[in-house]
Formats: sequence, C-alpha cells, structure tokens
Amino acid sequence: MLLVFFLILGVFLIVAQTTFFQLFPDWLGRPDFLYILVAFAAYRLGWVTGLLYVFLLGWMLDVVSGIHLGIYPLQNILVFTGLKLLTESSPLREGAYEVPLVGLSYFLVQIGFYFVHSVMIPGTLPVWSWDKIFQDTMILLLATIPAFVLLNYFFEFFRSRRIVHRVIRRGSSNQFR
Amino acid sequence: MTKVVLLLILVCSLILFAASFGGRFGPFHQITLDTLGPVQSLFTSVSQGVEQVWDDYVALWSVRDENKRLRAMLEEYNEKLNEYTEAYSTYLGLHQKLRFKEKDPFPSITARVVGKGPSYWFQTIVIDRGENDGIVDGMVARNEKGVVGQVIQVSPNYSKILLANAPSSAIDAMVQKSRVRGILKGAGQRGYILHYVLKKADVTVGDRIVTAGIGGIFPSGIPLGRVSAVRKKQRGMFQEIEVEPAVDFQRLEVVFVNLTEKLSWEAEMHRPMGADY
Repeated sequence: MLLVFFLILGVFLIVAQTTFFQLFPDWLGRPDFLYILVAFAAYRLGWVTGLLYVFLLGWMLDVVSGIHLGIYPLQNILVFTGLKLLTESSPLREGAYEVPLVGLSYFLVQIGFYFVHSVMIPGTLPVWSWDKIFQDTMILLLATIPAFVLLNYFFEFFRSRRIVHRVIRRGSSNQFR
Repeated sequence: MTKVVLLLILVCSLILFAASFGGRFGPFHQITLDTLGPVQSLFTSVSQGVEQVWDDYVALWSVRDENKRLRAMLEEYNEKLNEYTEAYSTYLGLHQKLRFKEKDPFPSITARVVGKGPSYWFQTIVIDRGENDGIVDGMVARNEKGVVGQVIQVSPNYSKILLANAPSSAIDAMVQKSRVRGILKGAGQRGYILHYVLKKADVTVGDRIVTAGIGGIFPSGIPLGRVSAVRKKQRGMFQEIEVEPAVDFQRLEVVFVNLTEKLSWEAEMHRPMGADY
C-alpha cells in the first residue's frame, strides 16, 4: 500500500511538473519535487524497494521529457545510492542533516551532470549558470522542508496501518490454531 | 357673536361672488392667491422634505440588499467579461492559426501541447499526436510565428519534440535584410545565437532572422527571430549575434507538424557530433 501510494504520488508529481508547474512565473521558481521524492525514498525506503521505485520515477520522467533516454533513471539511481550510503553508514543519518543534504546533493548532481554531459555530448546543454543553479538549489531547499513533513506524515500513516494489519492477521491466525 | 360672524362670512361671500362675474382675475383673487401661495409653498416644502426623508429612510432598508445584489451582479459581469475576453483571445489565436494553416502549402497536422519538460538543461514538449496520425521521427513542428522544433520520439498517440532553442539544434539561417547566412544554434532560455557571421557583415539589432531554405524541402523565409544583440570582439573573424526567438517557447499551446517534412530536418539542422538522436 505504501509503495502504491508513493508510486501514485510520483506519477502525480511527474504530470504536475510537466504541465501546470510550467505556468509558474520564473521568479517563483519550479522546485524539483521529484528530486525531493527520490531523496525521501533514499532516507526511508529499503534498498530493493527504493531502487525499483526511483528507477520507475526516472523512467517515467525520461518518457515524458528526456532527450537522451536513460539519463533520468541513472541519475535517480545514483542519487538514491549516494544518499543511502551516506545516511546508512555515517553520522549524517541524523534527521537534522536530511534537508541540507538534499540541497547539497542536488547542487553536486547538477555540477556532475553538466560535467559528464559536456564531456560525453559536447555542445548540447545551455551555458552553465551559477545563478540559476544557486537559485534552483535554494528553491529546492525551501520546498524540501514542508515536502518532507508531508511525506513523513504519509509514510508513518501507511507504515502504522501496515503494522496494525500484520498484528491483526497474526492474531486472527492464532485463534484458529 | 355667532350671528355677527355668520353675517360677515355671508357678506364676504356675496362680495367674492359678485367679483367673480365677468371672468376677470380681480384684486380679490390676487389677494387670495397671495395669501394662499406662501401657505402652499410651505406645505409643499414640508411635504417634499418629509417625502425625501421617508424615501431615504425607507430606501435604507433595501440599500444593503441592493448593494449585495449589485456586487453579485458586478462579480457575475466581471466573470463574464473575463470569459468573453478569454474567448475572444482564443478566437484571435485560432483565427491566426487557421490563416496560417490555410496559407501553408504543405500538409500539416495540428497538435496540442500537453506537456513540457521540467529540466533547465533540456527543452522538450509533448504533443497529442503520434504514429497513428502519421507522425514519425524527424518531422518539423512549426506554428504561425515560426519554427518550434523537431519530433524526436513517437508513440502511437503522442510525440516528443525537441525545441529549436535547445543547444543541440542548429538551423541554417539568414538575416532577411542583408541575406547574410549563418548557423542559428539554440541557447536554451537565452533564445538563439547566430554563429559564423563575418564581422564585416551588416547585421543590426532588430534585423529579422529567417530560415535559409537549404535542402529545398524546408522552405526558406520561415521566421526564426529578431537580432537582440550584436557583439564584435577584437579576436576572431565572426560576430556574436544573439537572437530573440519569434516563437514564445514558454507559451506554446498548439503546433503544426509538417507531414511532408519527414527527415528534412537533417538537411536544415546539423546534429552535433555524438548526438544520439
């Protein structure tokens, strides 16, 4: 149920980001909610579930907006893996670091993406803009806080339902032994 | 006493009766009128004042309701006005598109833009026409303002278009006024950059840039944009020319995909080395 909910949320965000988010004025910015969702998945979901999930998100985004197919799934998997490794085996797993880490990783991903893309397929990206990247990162950071609160709420809600469901099932099965 | 008063009244009546003969408005009439006139005036003023106060007082009862009603009406009319303005704008837009389509010598298919790529790095849109409508990779999408882009991926019912302002696109273009030719490359949100125009060439801000028409299939003269800045650096042979796109890529709603232009884009758009589309 949890995964289904997050999949539906992912589809909704992809559709939203490619349609009515585009109507927002430039000065307001368009936070990359999908990136936030991928980061959240890295913090909360397990390895297999999370990798599957972020791959599916990247794949769908690739279909609706990618030029070089495969870039978004690869990016999502790398972001997921990077964040997962960082938070699993270091002091950065503390909740206080989660939001800043999203911003920092986004910033680094943009730089890495631009560098790799420029080397692999030169001349196919717009001119690098520090202003734009800083602006996008700040907007993403601002959007991450409420988004994480909301995502956490849904995550806990579905997880608690799953636990209750398991307990009920276990209890009922014992009755018939 | 009563008899005296009665007698006085009788005498006065007789006098007035006698004065009425002959149909003349005599002194008694005038005195009477001058006496009654001010009283009438007073009564009229008072009654009008009372009526005014009454009307105002009574009106107050309904003013609030009327105010509410008028506000509701105003909102309703504003809403209608917005609807009509929007409808009129839509009509103008569609009329312009229809005229463009009628004038277009090539068979084209109209498509609605249903999505736009969110990334800063790539410029793509998704349209609601696909293989089932005869669209294949490489077809050129245009609108009444000019070149929009190229179809890069197709599904049965939808297609993805790489916008002309994407840095990986390049169009053979020329300055309409001086016929100077160059390569127009996309520069993302900055529009286009016109490359390979010699410093001695006559190019000024405001000049129109159109397609050069090399290859024959893609007609020449399709608007691409206007020169927005010209820079001549000391080094190098060429000018640096920025071009503001004729097409507003942020507000694309409808595009026309030219069905005869299959793969002709390759003649016009030079893919950079290593591009995999």
